[in-house]
Amino acid sequence: MALSVRELYTNLMSEGIIFCFCGSVSQSIVEGIGETLWQRMELEGAQTSTIGKVFPIFVEQMQNILTYSAEKICSDKNGGEELRFGIVTVGKAEGRFYVCCGNYVDGRAAEILATRLSELQTMNKEQLKELYKQQRKIATLEGKSTGAGLGFIDMARRASKPLEFDLISVDDNRLFFSMTTTI
Amino acid sequence: MHFDASTGLLEIKGKSYPENAAQFYAPILEWVRAYLQEFRDKHVELNVEMIYLNSSSSKAFLNLFDLLDTCAKQGQSVVINWRYHEDNDTALECGQEFSEDLESVTFNLVEICEE
Repeated sequence: MALSVRELYTNLMSEGIIFCFCGSVSQSIVEGIGETLWQRMELEGAQTSTIGKVFPIFVEQMQNILTYSAEKICSDKNGGEELRFGIVTVGKAEGRFYVCCGNYVDGRAAEILATRLSELQTMNKEQLKELYKQQRKIATLEGKSTGAGLGFIDMARRASKPLEFDLISVDDNRLFFSMTTTI
Repeated sequence: MHFDASTGLLEIKGKSYPENAAQFYAPILEWVRAYLQEFRDKHVELNVEMIYLNSSSSKAFLNLFDLLDTCAKQGQSVVINWRYHEDNDTALECGQEFSEDLESVTFNLVEICEE
């Protein structure tokens, strides 16, 4: 049974989802969507607007897909830019905006994510601030990611409640990771 | 980004969320390091006006500020001006947090008011 675009659109709308991106994520896409979101924010008049709060979380989650997603292809064109697959949605539930992301990860990444995120869930704002400053000092800039999970701590600090996440086993070495940040 | 070697005025403005901040900021850090080494008696002023920093950019900026802080400790005349818009609380907090960890460099929080 073919899923019509209208059905998908209606399902998303009924779930309160106002923005959805599913597919290959690259830095160019993050910048393209990011700049469009930012322009929308400027049109609405203030950096403290909802989109101003959504933007940092959106960027961190998209860039997490770039770092952690186990589904990827390398392009020979575009200067060898790597394309990674995932999904990011922005929605509204119980009066609050949230940003949700999902992507496949391997077993090792899943372990790291579970440990880090479980720890963050137990921390209050002061503890998160201290951890952020501590990790920022000790993290080296070698390699693509700081490896210190600064992005997650940043999101946890911006959120109105603890980050929610889920890891579902798909096969021997793949899990589907999803995470929700409520603003 | 605008770094003027003759006047000692360095300016960075905008949003920063490169995929690889380490790679992006490495040459900038190198330039500043070499510049400060060559012109020890020059007054250096860094104006920063960042609307958004992703987490890895935040690390890169800390590295830059640490470098300037070290030079200030050694007696060099260095000032950092963290500029933020009056309605951007996040940018203000970000600046305050940076200044909490810097010991010697003069770090000013400068509010920009819309006229």
